[in-house]
Amino acid sequence: MRKTFLVLTLLLLAGLTLLAPVQAQGCSAEAPCEIDALIGFTDHRLDWAVERAVEFGEMFPQYVVNIESFSDYEPLLDSYILSQEQGNPPEIMQLFEVGTQFAIDSGYFKPASDIIAGRDEVLGQPVDFDDIIPVVSSYYTIGGDWSSVAWNTSTPILYANLNILGEAGIMDLPTTWQGVEAACEQLQPMVDAGSIAGCIVWPNHGWFYEQWLAQQNTELVNNGNGREGRPTQVLLSSEASLNIVQWHKDMYEKGYYAYSGKQRDWSGAVQAFNSQQLPMIMTSSASAGGIMRNAGENGVEVGTSNMVYDEEVGWTGNILGGATMWITDGLEPEIEEGAMAFLLFFSNTENSATWHQVSGYVPVRNSSVALLEEQGWYEENPNFLTASIQLGESQVTIATQGAIFGTFVETRNIITQAIEDAMLTGGDVAEIMAAAEEEANVLLEEYNLLYVDE
Amino acid sequence: MYLVSPLVLLLLVALAGGGWSAWRARAQGAAPAVRQRAQLLALLGAASAALGALILLAPLNFCPFELDGDGNADRLNVMLGIFILLGGAFLAHRVASSLVGRWLRGEALPGATETRTGLFSGPGSTLLALLCLAPTLTILTLFLYYPMFDTFQLSTQLARLGAPRTRFVCMRNFNQLLGDPDYGRTVLVSFFLAAFIVLFSLALSLLIAQMAYRPITGGRFYRALLVWPYALSPVIAGIIFELLFHNTAGVLNHVLYSTFGLKVPWLLDPTIAPWTVVVASTWNILGFCILFYIAGLQNVPNDLLEAAAIDGASAIQRFFSITFPLLSPITFFLVVTTTTYAFFDTYGLIDFLTAGGPVESTTTMMYEVFEVGVVARNLGSAAARSLLLFGIVIGVTILQFRFSRGRVMYGS
Repeated sequence: MRKTFLVLTLLLLAGLTLLAPVQAQGCSAEAPCEIDALIGFTDHRLDWAVERAVEFGEMFPQYVVNIESFSDYEPLLDSYILSQEQGNPPEIMQLFEVGTQFAIDSGYFKPASDIIAGRDEVLGQPVDFDDIIPVVSSYYTIGGDWSSVAWNTSTPILYANLNILGEAGIMDLPTTWQGVEAACEQLQPMVDAGSIAGCIVWPNHGWFYEQWLAQQNTELVNNGNGREGRPTQVLLSSEASLNIVQWHKDMYEKGYYAYSGKQRDWSGAVQAFNSQQLPMIMTSSASAGGIMRNAGENGVEVGTSNMVYDEEVGWTGNILGGATMWITDGLEPEIEEGAMAFLLFFSNTENSATWHQVSGYVPVRNSSVALLEEQGWYEENPNFLTASIQLGESQVTIATQGAIFGTFVETRNIITQAIEDAMLTGGDVAEIMAAAEEEANVLLEEYNLLYVDE
Repeated sequence: MYLVSPLVLLLLVALAGGGWSAWRARAQGAAPAVRQRAQLLALLGAASAALGALILLAPLNFCPFELDGDGNADRLNVMLGIFILLGGAFLAHRVASSLVGRWLRGEALPGATETRTGLFSGPGSTLLALLCLAPTLTILTLFLYYPMFDTFQLSTQLARLGAPRTRFVCMRNFNQLLGDPDYGRTVLVSFFLAAFIVLFSLALSLLIAQMAYRPITGGRFYRALLVWPYALSPVIAGIIFELLFHNTAGVLNHVLYSTFGLKVPWLLDPTIAPWTVVVASTWNILGFCILFYIAGLQNVPNDLLEAAAIDGASAIQRFFSITFPLLSPITFFLVVTTTTYAFFDTYGLIDFLTAGGPVESTTTMMYEVFEVGVVARNLGSAAARSLLLFGIVIGVTILQFRFSRGRVMYGS
């Protein structure tokens, strides 16, 4: 009896697992279709995105957009890849700019241009990609086609604590490497006296290296920075590259660059600036919101200028940073339409403007900039304009368009490590960069072995 | 084309296995029953050694001995191949000789048990037993055996998360590591951190437990507070210590500078940063060790200590001659668990405190497995790294067990 009962229970359990959920047909207000969107923010930027999703749901009751948040871009991408391998991917994902080649290679996504298919609007949401600012469209269009929908775009800028700079008698913000060095020299007595901990900080992250490379109009990988063909070589031994690492090393050795000893230390750098330990920081324009809020609360006057460049070489332009929104391939047509309409709504003129005000990310539409000017936003908040000017004045060249290659994320980490080695081990810059180049090339070769058809 | 034909390799191994068995059988001291069957035993020894080598090398297609396009063999590859060949032969030979030994002595082969009563007796009982075991076996297969098998397989491949294909690369993933001085340094860093984390956490926790186990007013509350750091995840510990030790914005340097005019590059200097990690990890695991030591101290018989005190033993003598030896099982348990903690669980703490830096001075083997496998998505290399890490930790644990023999006393 006991045995029979046991067997029956086991059989029942086995049977239950076989019952598959029944799928509903069509999207309606009674049974709305769900659109899952993954984004890489957990703070006030997440709140903004959730509010837009709710608004979209009110406009289109046949859809429900669920925003799922991640602490960073990398775990988000991992999660997406795994859900693809399990055959149940979300409809929309936010992908950082350096993942572009991977996204194309993976075949996971349907290009935005293909979904729009020449239409002016999708479910009443206007397309109007001509309105997107040139630096964004030149980065994200490949062969003239939009593969994704632009969203958050940033660029590094210099923030300075004007109270401290004023005390040292510095009236003009530095705009060049040489200017920073002069300012640091002037600030050194305050460092010696212990009233500040150092002169300047920026996170040790390959992104800054890439920016300085673009400023010197130099490519990161061969084959037209990966835009004319699949790259086969990472170029870390160029004159411009060595120039950057040498300057980094010099700044550290003179005691001007306050390194925390931790790579990619975004929060530590901002914390040191916010707590008035350091008078200058170079970081993403996306930190403008947080930095200005903190400055307001503590009665600090903060000024901004462009990302400093090497006066001896000159400035060509900066590359954008940030991410775009990708739509998964193979969705039901009705859901695909909903996902596209949501992204168009998400990045329309008004929303791009409020997104900029909340975060400090650059408004990606010309019409948003015009709207903000009309509202007098930039007059009241001139620091929010610095990034737009820097990107707007950038010349579009192969170098400033930014590199596209499959192992960008790993190469970034190799560069970051090389810069740290140059600063802390006192080794020869050319040798360190040659070793880093070799390491990066092995990775690229391996990547190409797995992705390129023979 | 092979450097040496796989057939020749297997024959050599068989010869070695057979020879070893035959020598053992003829050796003085072997039982008459064994000596009479020396030929048969040599044959079995040869077969098992060859089979063991074949089982490990056949899935690899004997690739370590393959010649490249130019007809050259890679020396490291061949050495790894010989290692696998001998390892497989040795393990299989050990298993076979133990089984044959039991058979010759007329003992039951392992697996047969003597207790057969209760629900699982009678006709059809095996089926029911298997059915009841099925959930456990399924979970073990899905979450332990399959991933383990997959790790072995991945370690011989060039594989990336999300890539449309993988490529068989033989021993390349291991080969790259063995020839890489950076990897050697990572191993050293892991051992360095583990050694000091174990030493400090055990010494400190014993000291604190020695003071805290006595029945004092509010003792319970106080003891509960001591365990508290262990309740925090390594990640939180990492964040707390980063706030304390940060070079520019840290609390500690702020205090040091304002009182002594001194600044210590806790996280910036490659010679100091590992110590900072040791301190933070020790703090994190300390509560766990204290908990066990307090429990152990409360079980040390008071009459022994009293008798020793009456005989004139000082407090220090009593501690080293009575208390410490009686605590040896707990000390041994803590050595093994804190070693495991130091090798595997410090990942989160390191990630938030130093991110493996500066200049990779706090990059442990585990941290690198994560960096390579998850951040860089290079699954093949990460699998090879985790297998090496696994082997090293198993080795350390075996050594710890060997070393503790005769030094650890369990009860009277």
